[in-house]
Amino acid sequence: MERKAEIREFVRELLARKGDTEPFADDASLILSGRLQSVEAVEVAVFLEEKFGVDFAKLGFDEEMIDTVDAISTLVQDSVKMP
Amino acid sequence: MTAAAHPGGAAPVAARAPFLWGFRLIPRVETYPKVVSFAQTTIGKLTLLGIFGIGLMYAPQHAPFLIVLLAVATALPQYRRIVLTFGTLLWAIGTWWRWTNHPLLLQFAIVLILASLLFWAATRFPHSWFGRRPVTSLLTGFTLSILLASYLPRGAYLRTASWELLTVTGAYIWFIAYSLLDSRSNSRDPLALQLGTYRPFWGSSNTPFVKGAAYLRRIEAHNPEQLAVAQLKGLKLLAWSVILDLFLREVFQPVVYGDLGIPVFSHLFELNVQRASFPWYIAWASLIANFLGGLASLSISGHRVVASCRMAGFLALRNTYRPLESRSIAEFWNRYYYYFKELLVDCFFYPTFMRYFKGYRRLRLFAATFAAACFGNAFYHFFRDLDYIERYGFWRALEGFQAYLFYTVVLALGIGISQLRERRDAATGWIRGRLVPALCVSGFFCLLSVFDFTEKRYAIEDCFRFLAHLFNLTS
Repeated sequence: MERKAEIREFVRELLARKGDTEPFADDASLILSGRLQSVEAVEVAVFLEEKFGVDFAKLGFDEEMIDTVDAISTLVQDSVKMP
Repeated sequence: MTAAAHPGGAAPVAARAPFLWGFRLIPRVETYPKVVSFAQTTIGKLTLLGIFGIGLMYAPQHAPFLIVLLAVATALPQYRRIVLTFGTLLWAIGTWWRWTNHPLLLQFAIVLILASLLFWAATRFPHSWFGRRPVTSLLTGFTLSILLASYLPRGAYLRTASWELLTVTGAYIWFIAYSLLDSRSNSRDPLALQLGTYRPFWGSSNTPFVKGAAYLRRIEAHNPEQLAVAQLKGLKLLAWSVILDLFLREVFQPVVYGDLGIPVFSHLFELNVQRASFPWYIAWASLIANFLGGLASLSISGHRVVASCRMAGFLALRNTYRPLESRSIAEFWNRYYYYFKELLVDCFFYPTFMRYFKGYRRLRLFAATFAAACFGNAFYHFFRDLDYIERYGFWRALEGFQAYLFYTVVLALGIGISQLRERRDAATGWIRGRLVPALCVSGFFCLLSVFDFTEKRYAIEDCFRFLAHLFNLTS
């Protein structure tokens, strides 16, 4: 599955688990808008760590980094490029 | 918190059964196209500002100054952030000029210079120890300074000067922390705009309302329609704040404390400290009244601040959003005082979660929750009331803080367990799925509020005695 599609699917499942079935665009704010909370934000972080090997301890963590599907996708892309 | 507001204007709230056939005391005017179009015209903007000004006059503290700044921010949306910085600095100068005995303007200037240096260092040396842990370094330095200042001899000029500087620093410490967090961002704001987020002119406690520059960038209105929606939502929130305030002052307090004769909780607690006897059900009535009144007061003040922020063109989330509907302890904490929770999450929860116990999922979540709800919460409140430390010394002040420390430990345990339990399937049906969990959660926080003393400090034994009295376990 394409990387971005995997991320989108994970976010959709996360929102659905909260009963939020509203559609979301790839550039739509998820955390800073209040749709996802800190507990869900860390679920996104764990997903990125386990699935794509993103190391937040090295990168530093900021909600803005995972606030949209686009931002997550860019983060994964950059993280893969990092030595 | 389910979305209390949304930058796009839509409310992506989880499906909720309509209450009273969808009746709303304040209609969703921001969804009416004609109203949104009108709010974008000059007459519309003046009308909104006029009505907002009348609403602000209901609680007239700084209202004229605030409405002038809101009008300038509305008229010059492209310079909104500069207006914010300018207004905030003016506001701060006024505040510190009028500070109790004598102005603390010099101390304010020193704090701004220190904050600027720290921000510069964090951006200039991102891979240094300080650059990687700017907030930890800031809080450690602040703690050590207070510890040192508490040992300075009483009456000495150096002690007075140190405590005055620390008082001003304490008022800005969490705002500086947000700036330092933003220093890592590629799209960070320059220092001048960061200063506009240090106790912004729309009002703030020591808790940053509304977070820092990163959050403002995300929620700022970028076109006339978004501004109109933000302002309409701001007006609605102010109206809600006025209605709640009227209800609290004209109905709740006269009925509860007048007609029903329920004693004020602080008075009753003093009686408890003096070993006076009173019936257990009076203790319950007083505690519940205090809990509900406290929720209403926090909502009123928070709504007013967020309403002004929205009026300035930033569609911020509400600070308090239907906490009594919460079905878990974690949800209540999220809905009760959103910006305080966010502060603890940003400064304590995330750093702990991202660094420690990576191989242990549950422990990792639990440790991060403890770092925020217990350690961060206690740290914030202990260092918020610096006058206690100055008066009693560091260690005695810490000793007097034991009741609140107990509060934070139980709170963290409750939230931690609640977060782990949330992963299981929830019960369905209105009674089992909503009412019972909501009552249990509210009951937990109501009981825990017996230990929630941050301004006036009591011994933990007094709190336990009151708790026992609630269950008729004392004479």
